[in-house]
Amino acid sequence: MNRTADQPEPNPLREGLSARPVPQPCSIVIFGATGDLTHRKLVPALYNLAADGELPPGVVIVGFARRDKSDDDFRRDLEESMRKFSRQPVRDEIWNAFAQSIFYHRSEFGDEAGYERLTKRLEELDKSHGTRGNRLFYLAAGPDQFESILKNLKAAGLNQTCKGSWARVIIEKPFGTDLASARELNRVVRNSFREDQTYRIDHFLGKETAQNILVLRFANAIFSPLWNTHYIDNVQITAAETLGVGTRAGYYEDAGALRDMVQNHLIQLLCLVAMEPPTDLSADSIRDEKVKVVRSLHRWSRSEIAANVVRGQYTKGAIHGEPILGYRQEQNVNPDSQTETFVALRLFIDNWRWADVPVYMRVGKRLPKSATEISIHFKKAPAVLFNKDLRDLNVLVIRIQPDEGISLRIHAKVPGTSFRIEPVKMDFHYGTSFGKPSPEAYERLLLDAMSGDATLFARADEVEQAWAFIDPIEEAWHAKKNAPELYFYPAGSWGPEAADDLLAREGRAWRRL
Amino acid sequence: MICSLARAGRGEDYKPVMPAAAETYSLGAPVEIGKIEQELKKLWREGEGAMTRASLMNLAVYSEDPGSLPSNTQLMARITENHACRAIVIEADCGADDDLVSAWISAHCHVSSVGGKQVCSEQISFLLKGGCTTQLPSIILSNLDSDLPLYLWWQEEFREPIDSQLWTWVDRVIYDSHGWSDFRSQTRLLEVMQEEGNQRIVLCDLNWTRLDNLRFALAQFFDHPASHHRLAKISKVRIYFAPGFRSTAVLFVGWLGAQLNWHIDEVKSSGELRFTRASRQHIDVDLRERNGEPVHEIALTSGDVEFRVTYAHCGDLLEVSRIHNDENRVPQLMPAGNNDPVGLISEELIRGGPHRVYLNALNCVRDLL
Repeated sequence: MNRTADQPEPNPLREGLSARPVPQPCSIVIFGATGDLTHRKLVPALYNLAADGELPPGVVIVGFARRDKSDDDFRRDLEESMRKFSRQPVRDEIWNAFAQSIFYHRSEFGDEAGYERLTKRLEELDKSHGTRGNRLFYLAAGPDQFESILKNLKAAGLNQTCKGSWARVIIEKPFGTDLASARELNRVVRNSFREDQTYRIDHFLGKETAQNILVLRFANAIFSPLWNTHYIDNVQITAAETLGVGTRAGYYEDAGALRDMVQNHLIQLLCLVAMEPPTDLSADSIRDEKVKVVRSLHRWSRSEIAANVVRGQYTKGAIHGEPILGYRQEQNVNPDSQTETFVALRLFIDNWRWADVPVYMRVGKRLPKSATEISIHFKKAPAVLFNKDLRDLNVLVIRIQPDEGISLRIHAKVPGTSFRIEPVKMDFHYGTSFGKPSPEAYERLLLDAMSGDATLFARADEVEQAWAFIDPIEEAWHAKKNAPELYFYPAGSWGPEAADDLLAREGRAWRRL
Repeated sequence: MICSLARAGRGEDYKPVMPAAAETYSLGAPVEIGKIEQELKKLWREGEGAMTRASLMNLAVYSEDPGSLPSNTQLMARITENHACRAIVIEADCGADDDLVSAWISAHCHVSSVGGKQVCSEQISFLLKGGCTTQLPSIILSNLDSDLPLYLWWQEEFREPIDSQLWTWVDRVIYDSHGWSDFRSQTRLLEVMQEEGNQRIVLCDLNWTRLDNLRFALAQFFDHPASHHRLAKISKVRIYFAPGFRSTAVLFVGWLGAQLNWHIDEVKSSGELRFTRASRQHIDVDLRERNGEPVHEIALTSGDVEFRVTYAHCGDLLEVSRIHNDENRVPQLMPAGNNDPVGLISEELIRGGPHRVYLNALNCVRDLL
């Protein structure tokens, strides 16, 4: 994707080299440095970038957290996690050099003095490691801490830089819990950082197959004339997980599947599938087109929501033969919880390209298998000649995870003297065609943020528009009167029957995964 | 001339098997020339276990080195771990009295690192003898996997006549200029080849690929806009290269010269060169031979800063450092890549597009090679 328009002249020695330019040296300050995300994703991603030679000398990582720790303690903790979670095996000589650039800064998130000390420390690191005043702040702490962190960064002047340097902030989801809180969060962020300094991370967008959607659509002429209401019957997006809430019950009880997955990941995937071709590959051109899709999502009235959105919660069941507790029996979950662990939606994009094409989305926990995919179901060929009895449509499937790839279902004649026709699948697997494993989503996204490329990050208006779509559904669910029913489904099933009915009443069915 | 008769030949000693999961380095089953496609289909039909045949390209390898069939088969077994292809491995014995073509088919199967599937590439091997060596184009063209590009790895020096029938089909020609005895005549033949291929063939010189990681390591010093001015102040270049790799070092200098707009001013000796830039300032280049990796250290002096890339002790890493009087030396380790044929070919196969930068580098130092 493109870099920002104000980039200086390119380095002439870069021409023709396969790897992208190394970003500028910088200090990466991670708030919530002792948390899971830092240990499982962020530091392993940074190590892998360093091992692949994608980081410049002079990248410094400063972990900011409340617990008492020395730099060496922090390095030791991270090394242990690295050996568990790194994509590539940890090489001692690379880790030892890399670890020398990792530091720990103990402070409460709300303690002003802690930020003053941080400022001094970063200035010292600028001198000792050549980070040139460039700062990347990663908010991996709980969302309730965001405001305090952002205010204190501003108060300490860390949102400002001298000429030629930059300061950016990466914000982890959730970006609010509804439109009002998202607007408030955006206002808080804007008070400290401009929009072009703000990177709202959605790790789904860092996945290779998500990025490949644009390539599939805009680098292959064969799909272009078919990608519209004239040829597409329906679109299905599924994000299924076998896992339950695990240790996230505290968060999940308040969030639920709609806020946790649909508002961000699934709508982002839908945008990539449904957007118009951008004028160029710059961050804003792509995001301009994406936001138009979200803005065009048909808003159901309160009375229509029950017929178009199904919520469910898993009860006890079994997955892979293992008995599974029901959601309400999980630790830290209210025994009368009304939180949805499953959502299925029927939605429409009210624009010229997608008019009357239903988009079905489903997301759920404790489903029979883990899989995220988008399937494009094409319309039937005219019902003459061979097509009178054909039930299956041509389907193009984009598998996001696992086993990333693309398949196309077509019809073929079964060999023999009769004219029997059966569906066959043409299948492309990333793992089969390209031996090299894809980088982790966080590697790509961290590198992009360091390089100033916001293409794969959500913009404030995208986030707000997505909440504007989600809010009426949440409001209907939480209404005191006539709230749509919460359906139950046994763990290990594909969700409540009502989710199947969303499609069945129109003669359609969910794709079998 | 009898060229269509297929015979087991040396293949009699090789196991005619379809590998299950473990790799074998055999040439596989001997086949008749006219039945290769049929036999390949049979091979897949009768293969044991669940396998996925994959192919992204036709990769043909040509060698006149006696015994190259088994050694190139071993290379293919490793290359196909990451690059699914139809491999066409050819050994030619042009001086043989008898005319003969022998062929074998086999498969290289690997458990994919992604998804754990068993992914297989097929290989067709040919031994061409005597007058049959002139049938190389027809042998290659009749055995291509359709719709896939043809990469031809030419392990010999090029010689006349350049066969237009073959070269119009080649998408990328892979060679290693490091061993060329006469650089000038070889580059002239490459130009003829390019004409035959309507300038469509991408030239892939493994001698250039060898420099990839070094170029990357050096280029990253100048990514920061604040470092750009350093490029205009480079006054000295020092390169240490291993015996036999002077051409590799010269290509590196050619790259610097072409990208930074330097021109050769003076050749003081084979190891001492002087370039000038548009501002008429000089750049002294010092090429020194020393045992080690093909090019094992590069240092650029720009004002009071030295940018250095050198092999680290562990061999497969580069240590890059910026050395300045007033600043700390901040060394960083970066991947050095692999200089063996499999590493170089793999590097070459992952990138696409034309090698304009290579041609510019070559043109800059053509007279020095």
